[in-house]
Amino acid sequence: MKKYIKHIVVALICFLLILVLNFVLPRALSGDPIAYLTGFEEEEMSAEKYEYYYHALHLDESIWVQFEYYLLSIFDGTLGYSYQQQSTVSTLILEKLGYSLQITIPATLISIIIGLFWGLNSGYKKEGLADKISTSAMVIINALPGFAIALILAITLGVQLKWFPYVGLSSSWVQVGTWQYLVDRIYHLILPITAVVLASLPSKYLLVRNTVAKFVDDKSVTYAKQRGLGNGKIKRDYVLKNVAQPFVTMVGSSIGSCVGGAIVVESVFSIKGIGGLLNQAVYTLDYPLMQGILLVTTLSIVVCVTLSDIVCILIDPKVRKGEEV
Amino acid sequence: MKKSRLAFLVIGIAILAFFVLMALFPQLFSSLDRKQSFGAWLPPSAEHILGTNSLGYDIFAELVYGASVTLTVAITASLLSLVFGILVGILATAKGLVGVLFNGLINVFVLLPKLIILIVLSSFLGSSTINLIILIACFGWVGTARAVRAKVVHIYAQPYIEACKIYGYSRGHIALKHVLPNLYDVISSRFLASMTSCIMMESTLSFLGFGDLYYPTWGVMINLARLRGAVLFGAYQYLLAPCVCIMLVSLSFYFVGIYIEEKHSTINGVK
Repeated sequence: MKKYIKHIVVALICFLLILVLNFVLPRALSGDPIAYLTGFEEEEMSAEKYEYYYHALHLDESIWVQFEYYLLSIFDGTLGYSYQQQSTVSTLILEKLGYSLQITIPATLISIIIGLFWGLNSGYKKEGLADKISTSAMVIINALPGFAIALILAITLGVQLKWFPYVGLSSSWVQVGTWQYLVDRIYHLILPITAVVLASLPSKYLLVRNTVAKFVDDKSVTYAKQRGLGNGKIKRDYVLKNVAQPFVTMVGSSIGSCVGGAIVVESVFSIKGIGGLLNQAVYTLDYPLMQGILLVTTLSIVVCVTLSDIVCILIDPKVRKGEEV
Repeated sequence: MKKSRLAFLVIGIAILAFFVLMALFPQLFSSLDRKQSFGAWLPPSAEHILGTNSLGYDIFAELVYGASVTLTVAITASLLSLVFGILVGILATAKGLVGVLFNGLINVFVLLPKLIILIVLSSFLGSSTINLIILIACFGWVGTARAVRAKVVHIYAQPYIEACKIYGYSRGHIALKHVLPNLYDVISSRFLASMTSCIMMESTLSFLGFGDLYYPTWGVMINLARLRGAVLFGAYQYLLAPCVCIMLVSLSFYFVGIYIEEKHSTINGVK
């Protein structure tokens, strides 16, 4: 029981750290906090407007009262207010979240599945021809940053061969709600999803492959082979169980890498998801929006990693049996 | 196994030497001036190996002069993060409150979404090369700290440390003379790994527009190429050449890393 609590406490501290960072950043930096909190230049504001914002942002109160108002604005579900877009941050994020999830969720699932099974097969037949080819290919892809993979895909398959569209998520001529719209959307999603999968696959593949390659030398595997068990059974019942723990940890942390990958990929393929929103916030200096996005992504990553850590403890027979005794 | 190991080292060092030479003596590789206009969007030719960009500057010269900035940023950022990582990793193994605090610090930093927090911080702090180096180092030390922590715990569990304690050596003597020298292999392999991750992080941030335009790295170059419309004008080499350079540099660090890791694992295996 103690072990879960430790993970949850760490997760809470992490979330708290981002909350405090978001509060302190605009107020501690040199320059007028109003510029950071509204995203407008203070020189361009009229005196009345300046007064209005000064009061509306509670900058005339003590720092503790400000922190109280800040926490209130986070926990009432609005996550702050973007003065540039005249809208609450949570509405802006919710609007765009769907587009990002359409890329992130399939990409995460595909890369997890391919990474697990391909890595398992390569590691099981290590030093074989297939293993050598796929492992070196993965090492090379691993040396490319995510945006380079996306750019190469867009240039080769998009611009040159014209096989797939490489801008946006739907064609302008398709009506919303028809089945053509769905097909068109999937067609548009192929390149971005492939890019995120290729960017996050190598680390997963290499982890599974190396763990399996180490485990295959274990005496239990040699014995199982001597008993005449089939390769499929050994892989399923012996090897898979032993890579389960590092694999679950990796799945948890891969959500984070896929979210990061999606931001870069959205920028390459001009998709207006969370990454597009973040880019827009950066270019227009919309600080409240940036901070809201940071908070939401931190929250989702922290939850995923903590859940995977707890699952990791739960599936470990040593821990389970140890508790029962 | 021995031969292929050495081959990795030779290839890795050869690629690395090529780029270091490029960083130190850019004149050797390109005799053209970086800021000399030859006419916009010239295709690759014998005179301009990679053609020219929208302002008529030679792309190959831009690439050659970008090497020094890219490598400088990567080396300083990874050295800084190495120092942070070693310090935090050692402090995390301390007993009492200090150990708990630094362990907590490592556990919290593992969870943070690195890319997004770096984007937000660099847009608050403004993007200059020095800010970028410090920010990357501030969030890049976690892997090193974890590796150092694990290694220190491992060393303290060894019989020879027990023997030292029985001989009555002071804790300072054990830490400096027996633990620190044994950290060498972890530190060297972590340095190579963090070089790769720093180059990746730097180029990703520069690609997203946080690079210093006055000192263009390869990441900044790709970003500029995209903004200047390299895709429209069909100058794909403008986008792809820096990507290939980044790939070659990180591969070379990986190759040298393979050699070091296998060398140490065989030494430890013999022991």
